[in-house]
Amino acid sequence: MGRISLRSVGLGLAAPVGALVFALLVCGVILSITGHPPFSVAEDMIGSLERPRTIANSLNSATTYYLSAVAVAIGFKMRLFNIGVDGQYRLAAMLAAALAGASFMESLPSVVRILLTILAAMLVGAVWSGIAGFLKVTRGVSEVISTIMLNAIATALVAFLLNPDRLAVTVAGSNNIGTAPITEGGQVPGIPYSGSSSDVYGLVALAAVVGVAYWFMLNRTRFGFDLKATGESESAAVASGVNVKKMVLASMLLSGAVAGLVGLPQLLGDSHSYALDFPAGLGFTGIAIALLGRNHPIGMAFAAFLWGALDQTSNVLDLSGVPKEIVVIMQGVIVLSVVIAYELVRRYKLRLEQRDVGRALGTTKTPEEVQG
Amino acid sequence: MRRKRGGALAAIAMAGVLALAGCGASDDGGDSGGASGELKIGLAYDIGGRGDQSFNDSAARGLDKAKDEFSIEATELEASQGETDAQKEDRLRQLAEGGYNPIIAVGFAYAGPLGKVATDFPEVKFAIVDDFTPGTDDGPNIANLTFAEEQGSFLVGVAAALKSKTDSVGFVGGVNTPLIQKFEAGYTAGVKAVTPDATVQVKYLTQPPDYSGFNDPAKGETAANGMLDADADVIYAAAGGSGSGVFRAAKEKGAMGIGVDSDQYNLPSLNDVKDVIITSMVKSVDLAVYDFIKSVDGDSFKAGNTVYDLSDGGVQYATSGGKIEDIKPQLEEYKQKIISGEIEVPSTT
Amino acid sequence: MANSDVNVAVRTGTVHALVGENGAGKSTLMKILYGMQRPDEGTISIDGSPTDLTTPADAIAVGIGMVHQHFMLADNLTVLENVVLGDEPRSGGGIDFKAARTKIKDISARYGLGVEPDRLVDELGVGERQRVEILKVLFRGARILILDEPTAVLVPQEVDELFGNLRELKSEGLTILFISHKLDEVLSVADDITVMRRGTTVASVSPGEVTARQLAELMVGSALPVPELRESTVTETPVLEVEGLTVTSPDGRAVLDAMSFTIHAGEVLGIAGVEGNGQAELVEALMGIRPLQSGRIMLQDKDITKLSTRKRRDAGVGYVPEDRHRQGVLLEATLWENRILGHQTRAPSARGLLLNRAGARADTERIVEEYDVRTPSIDVAAASLSGGNQQKLIVGREMSGDPVLLIASHPTRGVDVGAQAAIWEQIRKARAEHLAVLLISADLDELIGMSDSLAVILRGKLVASYDPTAVTPEELGSAMTGAGDGGPHD
Repeated sequence: MGRISLRSVGLGLAAPVGALVFALLVCGVILSITGHPPFSVAEDMIGSLERPRTIANSLNSATTYYLSAVAVAIGFKMRLFNIGVDGQYRLAAMLAAALAGASFMESLPSVVRILLTILAAMLVGAVWSGIAGFLKVTRGVSEVISTIMLNAIATALVAFLLNPDRLAVTVAGSNNIGTAPITEGGQVPGIPYSGSSSDVYGLVALAAVVGVAYWFMLNRTRFGFDLKATGESESAAVASGVNVKKMVLASMLLSGAVAGLVGLPQLLGDSHSYALDFPAGLGFTGIAIALLGRNHPIGMAFAAFLWGALDQTSNVLDLSGVPKEIVVIMQGVIVLSVVIAYELVRRYKLRLEQRDVGRALGTTKTPEEVQG
Repeated sequence: MRRKRGGALAAIAMAGVLALAGCGASDDGGDSGGASGELKIGLAYDIGGRGDQSFNDSAARGLDKAKDEFSIEATELEASQGETDAQKEDRLRQLAEGGYNPIIAVGFAYAGPLGKVATDFPEVKFAIVDDFTPGTDDGPNIANLTFAEEQGSFLVGVAAALKSKTDSVGFVGGVNTPLIQKFEAGYTAGVKAVTPDATVQVKYLTQPPDYSGFNDPAKGETAANGMLDADADVIYAAAGGSGSGVFRAAKEKGAMGIGVDSDQYNLPSLNDVKDVIITSMVKSVDLAVYDFIKSVDGDSFKAGNTVYDLSDGGVQYATSGGKIEDIKPQLEEYKQKIISGEIEVPSTT
Repeated sequence: MANSDVNVAVRTGTVHALVGENGAGKSTLMKILYGMQRPDEGTISIDGSPTDLTTPADAIAVGIGMVHQHFMLADNLTVLENVVLGDEPRSGGGIDFKAARTKIKDISARYGLGVEPDRLVDELGVGERQRVEILKVLFRGARILILDEPTAVLVPQEVDELFGNLRELKSEGLTILFISHKLDEVLSVADDITVMRRGTTVASVSPGEVTARQLAELMVGSALPVPELRESTVTETPVLEVEGLTVTSPDGRAVLDAMSFTIHAGEVLGIAGVEGNGQAELVEALMGIRPLQSGRIMLQDKDITKLSTRKRRDAGVGYVPEDRHRQGVLLEATLWENRILGHQTRAPSARGLLLNRAGARADTERIVEEYDVRTPSIDVAAASLSGGNQQKLIVGREMSGDPVLLIASHPTRGVDVGAQAAIWEQIRKARAEHLAVLLISADLDELIGMSDSLAVILRGKLVASYDPTAVTPEELGSAMTGAGDGGPHD
């Protein structure tokens, strides 16, 4: 097996490295065509990475992206496409923010307050995705359609609730509107990052916990086995005794619960209020990162950091007169080429493995000759 | 299952790429400001940036005008969709570190980040358009440039009421935010001041965080058509780029439209529908930006909130096209009443 | 890549049989000949000239046609439409159906295929469909026909008809490459026989020189197993009692019609029947995969009619599915993960809510050993094993955990003789320890040899039962098609 695993490491490397190199080449070509020297652009981006602040901010973005990716990946493992992570986290963050900022929470100990906020967010996310799961199980509605619609409904619901008559407060002179600010007891303190003006979110730990839990669930529990089995072959899973409907519902709930966490690092670590400028669209970024990281707990962590770093270094491009949309192009090319590269490598690997099995059998056992 | 590998490899791969790119990295540090008293201006737009046909563009016009008059080197940056406060803060910080002074932030979303960066760079002058949040962005080196949009909206509301034959008018808001609600409040008050029992149909194209309502003419057209079918004959389009759809609908049905932010009658991009634009609520972000640059250039920077309103022409109604020549006396009368304080225009609905 | 050093010479105008166990490399060779896979080295010559086949289109161009084991016909189209599909004769802008119809009738008459161009494929029987497939290939101008296990889906009478057609084709100068592992058939129809084993050609013989047994031994490289039971182990204790089992298809047709039977501890009940007469539905109904219209299922005196698939499995029902890729394995998962499949709740695969990876791995090693699953490791994906080895893994898995009832659909289909012997032996052993077995198979020898009692299923009903010690394959074949006397003579 030693030889096989060494080779598989090489093959595994081939996909992401090849895709990254390809993406770099494409971006280089685009930059050259538009009259920007690719190497100086790369220099600028790397240069900005040397600033501690950029690293801290990248880590913070990665934290959010990672949670979003895990939420998406739980669905992907079952071949469920939860496009609704976006709506789930926005609604969850908004309601959790309203809860955390409510005055009755002031009297509670900080830990309890934070835990309640986290639980509330998970619950809201789970309920919102659970609707899609329920519709799929009982009515056969495709989760793709229902979650897209639930995103729109979540947007409308948040807009409705974000009103001074309901859950929002206004500040004189500001054109922003948001939930009541969460006071210090409800905030999660950041971790100072030396040399950086911004702290690393305290909830980076939450992302780590979610990552480990996700890995454990997939690889060590019966539930995780059933989840993967259903994703790989529904018919085989059914024959093995998996209740697919139950699994659909359970995985949608789980995916939604994790989705509910997506907004929390930002909310409890930085914004302290859900306002109009709360970041949107993280759920879609999560899809890209889950694809890039192949739904793997560690793969997604690196993908999330890569994504976050690209986002953060893009600011520097504008300063040097390079349209920072190049970063968006780069992210897009990376995802596309990674997806293609993984599929190619997967097929190639399977063929190699088949040949190996054949060869191993041909050489290890000498067929006793029978004369006819 | 040997899935683990994928992740580990991605890691190695990424480290490789970073290292690879790291070879070429160098640190030239920031150059420290312009020589020879030249102003080095950093301007951070909200989403859309220069060319959004709306208020970012207006700010850009102010910058361009200042460029013509003063010795200026300017860098313009813009926000991306779905970015966090941290990214906005980083943007402002990079400008400050790069020796830019003054720094202008366009849009209320910069309020929090600007407050933090301004504290760390007390020697740099900052300006923020459209926001004055006490405690967040009111430091000694921050000028807040805000507008009495409700006052200008009131006057175009008056014009709408006077011009309407059906006593039914419409309001199309781009995105349902407190800022646009201010436009609606003033407009409604203006309409009611003339015709107390007039109907004002209100429609917002999108809800935040979906900001496409500022740039979706098709949505604007649909909304306007609905209002026109329900008897409205004047529609106020406080919807940025979506306004063109509103005007197209108005033109088709022989109705009237009111523009926003700039004097839209004169915008080349609206040339084919300009005959339905009877007036526009002009919000002179360009004037505010220009004034601010001028104040810094002339060493007369003033921190704190500057409200641009009818009295200083920061907001006004446009008369291009001559469609409201006949009612100008009434409009001027209301304008004077607002300036004198006789009429107080509400800023919330 | 399963082949090395393969040498086959096929004479024009003959039926050449290619025999070998599953996994011997027949399919690979066939794919190479049809341009679906490229050889790493070596040449293919047709009529003496070397030919490079990179795609099936190349193969068709040089006159090679393939009749697949699984028919590739659209049910809702007519024979004519199916035949021209992908190779439409044009006239002007449209398809020249008239010319095509004439051509089909010509070919049909010339080779005695009896194909009517305007019938709906949906109405055709299995044998007729196969002839449509053959005609499709001839329509495209094939002079060399490759038939991949053409008899696997046919009942004995249909096999005879097929062989008649093949002789007809041969007499018209066509060349036929016939792939099979059914040796009696090969001996009766082939002019030359090439035997493959472990990816290489081991012998070329002519049918007159060898017996079926010698041929089989050439294939295996050793002596042969025979399906047979020794002394009866049937007890009086009923394990599975089925009463009035009725299952309807979505369109309301009864696919299982009030079926009742009992299997006792230590008894093997064999079900014979042409595919599509309700076997799949019966198995799925018993497993709790398919909902019942009415009826009752009792397992060891316990009513399991309402239990979920998992609960049934936990109660001791083992299941060897008919389609192993669809229901039996997770192709991309490793062997030890596949060991867990269907045993997620039980030792040694699980410990409470967690998986017991060490336990599952150890038990997988046991299965690999006991059932001779040929694999370099239990960490390879199931997809990299040959079908036979996958099947051995499945049977090994389903026999573990001491099941009380084994539902086995074609347990030895596509399995090499060594494994076949092992599987039969394991069933015999478990039967002696009071396992009840429901055996569904298309291999009549297996059914007759391995069953304590035999029943024939036809259109969702058990129409006849036979004493396996007294029945012949021909009798069974007649009953399966509904042409038999139908009289049960236990």
